[in-house]
Amino acid sequence: MIVEHPREYVINNLQYALNPKSIAVVGASRYSTKVGYKVVDGLRTWGYKGKIYPVNPRSEKVGGLDAYPTVKDIPDEIDLAFLAVPAHIVKSVLEDCVAKKVKIVVIATSAFKEIGRGTLQDELTQYCRDNKLPLIGPNLVGMGSPYLNFNCGFIPYLPIKGPVAMISQSGANLLAALGTSQKDHYGMSFFVGLGNKADVDFCEFVSYAGRDENTKCLAIYIEGLDSPDAFIEACQNVDKPIVTIKVGGSKIGEKAAFAHTASENFGTTDAFYDEVFEKAGAIRATTWQEFLDVSMALGMQPAPKGDNIVMITNGGGSGLLSCDHFERIGMPMHELAEISPSLPGRIRAYMPMFGSPLNPVDISGTASPVQYKGAFTQVMRDPNVHGILGSICPTAVTDVPAVTDLVIDIYDTYKHLGKPFIMECQGGEECQEAIMKLRDHGIPAYPTAEQAVNAMAALYKYGQMKQAK
Amino acid sequence: MSEEKHYTLGTDQQMAWKQINAFPPLGYGFTEPGTYGLDATEVAAYNVAKSFYQNYPEVWNIDYIAKETKLKKDDIKKRLKRMYDERLIMFVMNPNVGVYGWGLYYWIVKLKEGTDPAVKAEFSKWYQNKDDICTGYETEGDFDYFNGNHMRVLDNLLADVIQPWKDHPAVDYVHLCPIRGDVRESLVNQWHVPEDQYRKFVFGEEQLKKFFKVQKKIDKNDFAIIKAINGTKSVGDMFDFDVLEKLSGLDGKQMKKDIIECVDVRKFMLPMIYINYRKLGISMQMYLVRMFQNVPSYRKAEIVNEFAGMDEFVDIFQFGDSFYDCLLTVYAEINDVDAIRSKLENYAEIEEVWTAVSKRQFRRWVARLDDENGYWEECVMTDDFLQNRLEAGAPKCRFCTDPEEVK
Repeated sequence: MIVEHPREYVINNLQYALNPKSIAVVGASRYSTKVGYKVVDGLRTWGYKGKIYPVNPRSEKVGGLDAYPTVKDIPDEIDLAFLAVPAHIVKSVLEDCVAKKVKIVVIATSAFKEIGRGTLQDELTQYCRDNKLPLIGPNLVGMGSPYLNFNCGFIPYLPIKGPVAMISQSGANLLAALGTSQKDHYGMSFFVGLGNKADVDFCEFVSYAGRDENTKCLAIYIEGLDSPDAFIEACQNVDKPIVTIKVGGSKIGEKAAFAHTASENFGTTDAFYDEVFEKAGAIRATTWQEFLDVSMALGMQPAPKGDNIVMITNGGGSGLLSCDHFERIGMPMHELAEISPSLPGRIRAYMPMFGSPLNPVDISGTASPVQYKGAFTQVMRDPNVHGILGSICPTAVTDVPAVTDLVIDIYDTYKHLGKPFIMECQGGEECQEAIMKLRDHGIPAYPTAEQAVNAMAALYKYGQMKQAK
Repeated sequence: MSEEKHYTLGTDQQMAWKQINAFPPLGYGFTEPGTYGLDATEVAAYNVAKSFYQNYPEVWNIDYIAKETKLKKDDIKKRLKRMYDERLIMFVMNPNVGVYGWGLYYWIVKLKEGTDPAVKAEFSKWYQNKDDICTGYETEGDFDYFNGNHMRVLDNLLADVIQPWKDHPAVDYVHLCPIRGDVRESLVNQWHVPEDQYRKFVFGEEQLKKFFKVQKKIDKNDFAIIKAINGTKSVGDMFDFDVLEKLSGLDGKQMKKDIIECVDVRKFMLPMIYINYRKLGISMQMYLVRMFQNVPSYRKAEIVNEFAGMDEFVDIFQFGDSFYDCLLTVYAEINDVDAIRSKLENYAEIEEVWTAVSKRQFRRWVARLDDENGYWEECVMTDDFLQNRLEAGAPKCRFCTDPEEVK
């Protein structure tokens, strides 16, 4: 349902969705294969320290915990009620939650507006609004935070700690992002599935993420915006980078988005969403990979003050892929001499005679860690250079771990200069390990040139948008 | 369509299909067109009542029950709540497997004489926890178990439900008893009875008198409430649809219309109150009947129809393609079990009657009854749809994949 503006009581109560002291799991099951069991199990397995109250009218115990017939029967205050029950039970549980003065409810249940029960969903939403009870969902997978060891939903694992708040309408894509987090070291501050977003809207989670100290960047997966004006308002009031991906724009995707999360895109166009995101000051990604790559970079690195980006590489081919892609996306690279007239001469000392002090700077396939260090330090220290893109292409003489370590060392030493530093490591196992290590140290690193260029371009774009504010 | 071929189960699509065939029923595991999913909107009334009756006895049609029983409404609600809390009753639903594409395969197991009770306890534990077994009984006598599955593929039953223990040295034999006719279950007439007998709640007067003497947990008034609920002429009288609407937010009128269509008209499923005999401290006497193989099928069916007219029987199953032809049960403590055996043996067509007594039922239509394990009313619906359980490592029902659950 439409939200005029981000609602303060909702934003305030979102803390109880992500950091509750007590949780009622309604529909908690005794069977380890059922969703209602997984919620309780996930909370306990991942180290939730608060109180868990299973609600199940058929059992006195669930997983060794005392179970209660209804929410009203729980002898304690409840911050969060998580509902994993069939749709026909939800209304009654919401009434119990209001009576119990529960602070927020999360409804995992499907079978509402997305299957034609729009009236019922709207009635329940209005009931919650009338009673100032924020409702997240329905039709979602859950939420959590690695900083709080909080995994609430039917979610197999937590992401690693990091800067990105992942706000997703899709449960499947949210879970994919969590898997990527584990596998590819994509760090998150918190994550939430919004599902049908009947009540709590994107705008309120945007506002919440803006206040969350662990969040440095917001990544938002959207199937449809019910309240674009409120979304714009919320984004404009957040002083953090925001990356969006909007799906359901194709002819058949429009129908699929409705069937999935009851998202209504009828009458909207892709251009409409371009305009919304531009007004909001959000960077729009077009592919899932770009969405993840860009949000990671924006969460880790500052924006460059200008477009003087210098690339240091030991692979000419990698450099060519990069400079072509920079130009393709409207951010052509400048030659080194244009950026800083003395820089080519200074950087010459760190390459063989057949190297190229243009831009990209090709320090050649024989580059040693000493040469990498010298070249990186020169561009880092040059005040005319606004950002550094490094590349490792392993040859038989490339010491990838040593280069990785020195990149981390240089980044730590010169972090105070506020220049973004992005790495590309194209190759096999040793490059994958290098990427993970760099990411763990706050340096966005990617396996392909285009990914690294997209990340740098997004940082630049964000910097330009901030300046224009 | 001729009157002879008319029957009310199904949709126009189904009826058209039946026009093509001289004889509509097509055996075990045949899906009829037009059935509803068990969680479909059309079944919402049952699902809402099933979800709430534990805390809200007012889901039942209290006005109707009060009229039938002459009890006060508050008293009725208290009694229903107490009977549930004491695990004496459970609200259940039997889907008409004959149209849902499942075969209903019962089977009996006999362990060898002198089997260590500890070994039998292991068998019971496995059957209790094997979720594919939707209804099952532990027994003593001529056989040790009477269990049943709804499954689509007979091979899946044999490979995944029977084979794991079939070659155990303690097993004397196992016999399959596929259901040909589901006549009565848990005191309620099912599908294979004359039209006016469908959904009839059957409890003999003589048995009832003894029932109140041999147990004290369900009194006459309690029983009158159960009888009223199970005895509604239409399922539309079973619930208070205003209450169902208030609890669920769904349209009460539509729910009523849908459930009447589903239960009364199309006969896809049958909701009812189940009485938990184990909790009452009484036992179930079973008669497994084998008729001579040269008795024509029509005569076997006639005999079963005669059993359907006898009100001492709690369950009446007719089997097909089996060594055995039917299974009958009575509550042991309120019947002369020997006299019933003699009555059965007076049929010249009956070759043999095996008997066993059951003090424990594992499940009633996928709902677990084992309160002692903390699983009371845990409903686990399994389906071997699209599964090939003969393949090692092939995907199975998700409820069969947790080793802790099936051990």
